[in-house]
Amino acid sequence: MQQSDVVIEKRNTIRTVSSIFKSKRNLGNYLFLAPGLLFLMFFMIFPIFYNLLLGFQNVTLMNLRGEHEFIGLSNYINIFLDPVFKISFVNSIIFTAMCIFFQFAIGFAFALLFNMNFPGKNFLRSLLLLAWMLPMIITSTLFRWMMSGDYGVFNYFLLVLGIIDEPILWLTETSTSLLGTIIANIWIGVPFNMIILLGGLQSLPDHLYEAAKIDGASRFQQFRHITLPLMRPTILILLMLGVIYTFKVFDLIYIMTGGGPVNSSYVLPFYAFNLAFVKFDFSMGAAVATLMFVFLCIVSAIYLWFLRKEEQIH
Amino acid sequence: MTTLKWKEKYGAMAVAILSTLLFLFPIYWMVITSIKPMNELFASPPNFFPLEPTFDAYIDNIIKNQSMLGYIANSFVISFGTLILSLILAAPVAYALARLDIKGKSLILIILLTTQMLPSIMLAMPLFIFFSKMGLINSFTALIIANTTHALPFAILVLRPYFLSVPSGLEDAAAIDGCNKFSVFLRIILPLVKPGLLTVGAFCFLFGWGDFLFALTLTTENSIRPLTLGLYKFIGEYGIEWNNLMAVATIAAIPIIVIFVTLQKYIVSGVTSGAMKD
Repeated sequence: MQQSDVVIEKRNTIRTVSSIFKSKRNLGNYLFLAPGLLFLMFFMIFPIFYNLLLGFQNVTLMNLRGEHEFIGLSNYINIFLDPVFKISFVNSIIFTAMCIFFQFAIGFAFALLFNMNFPGKNFLRSLLLLAWMLPMIITSTLFRWMMSGDYGVFNYFLLVLGIIDEPILWLTETSTSLLGTIIANIWIGVPFNMIILLGGLQSLPDHLYEAAKIDGASRFQQFRHITLPLMRPTILILLMLGVIYTFKVFDLIYIMTGGGPVNSSYVLPFYAFNLAFVKFDFSMGAAVATLMFVFLCIVSAIYLWFLRKEEQIH
Repeated sequence: MTTLKWKEKYGAMAVAILSTLLFLFPIYWMVITSIKPMNELFASPPNFFPLEPTFDAYIDNIIKNQSMLGYIANSFVISFGTLILSLILAAPVAYALARLDIKGKSLILIILLTTQMLPSIMLAMPLFIFFSKMGLINSFTALIIANTTHALPFAILVLRPYFLSVPSGLEDAAAIDGCNKFSVFLRIILPLVKPGLLTVGAFCFLFGWGDFLFALTLTTENSIRPLTLGLYKFIGEYGIEWNNLMAVATIAAIPIIVIFVTLQKYIVSGVTSGAMKD
């Protein structure tokens, strides 16, 4: 802030040779940005628009190097008519909603636990993060093993606890395949939610809780009336990140179920991948990717709207 | 009063230890499965400790099956490449956004936030088309560039606060001593943000090591493919030989665990600052 004020002042007072010299010197500042931003433009911004363009054409592996035709909205119409798109879309919503709900709830419970004062808490807290840091492909293979057949250890636990009466063929039944991947993804996301929520909890002022204790507020009342309202900004950003991260999960589905059995665990990223890299219909894949991007933009817009409302209140 | 506090403290510790162990059971199960002989894999009820532990799966996979070493080497090349390219590109941008007089900073930050949320599958298609036109399919260059798209926005956003926290006036002092902007950045500022570079470097390495989608879409030859794809290939080959698969998975997890143990505090701070992008 101060620096820029000084700069503006200087600009107003000395507007002659030195200001030209100054702007030349500032040009050097942009050189710091150039390589990184050019990379972003070329490999990330440009692809967004390229996807948009591809979505209106008929590019497949066959005509990749040749001429492409502009075919208007017919890719999008085909997608909306495809029953697999409907399955993928609904599954994506279920997958994202269920994952976020349970990751958040379990993560919050962990965060409240680790917000207490006891020896070794920092060590245990970071140990938990290991689940989040493992490459998704390892976790997926691992859960595929734990949920495999009727001898998987996951079934064993559920049987011992009396939650199920007979083994479930988690990943090979149409009714449970999506649920299986959801459980694995919840496991991955809990530590992340825990760390972010714990960061929020630790920044809450202690004196509010002391005042509440003096007033005789119970633990639950403290949580309901102090913790939750003050944690709103943290919770909001966490939920938005949750949607963004969960919505694009691909590896997990690819490894655990391959979208099956009979399309029962298709989600949108997997659907887009299948169109582009199995059927080699790049334009259809690009159209689905564009739809996903639009969806994520809407989510961010909703987040920003909430944020603005929040700022108006305070 | 003190006994109550004591009870509360150790009660919480006991609950925390138990729930952490329970939560991390899958990782234990991965390692345990990898040292079980075939006949113990499908025991019912399952053995929670192997009766006859054996390292056959590791010996088979590392010594007898030479392709494993190739996958591991490829993974290291890709991960280090991603780490280096991301840091080289990210550090100057983060520095400029934090400390230099530049127009449109908030626009750049919005672009970074937007690009960070892009699903990799969205980039995989244009990159595949682009790289196949350039003849770069099946090259480390393509994989390193692709993985850097994942790491770069994150790296810039996480590094920026580290540059902001460097005491102001350092640049001016150095300028008086006759350093130009670039040598000030390289010689004075960069050494001061080492913790940030470590945090971001660790994450860039992790992104490269864990990548599956780009390796799947941008390569067709096993000679270039990373360990994640090797693991996937073994799922098909090993079928129900889960001890072999879990041995490969454990090997693939070892670098992550090593980084995690050595850089623990940096990683926790990276997770938090990565999410709290102001």
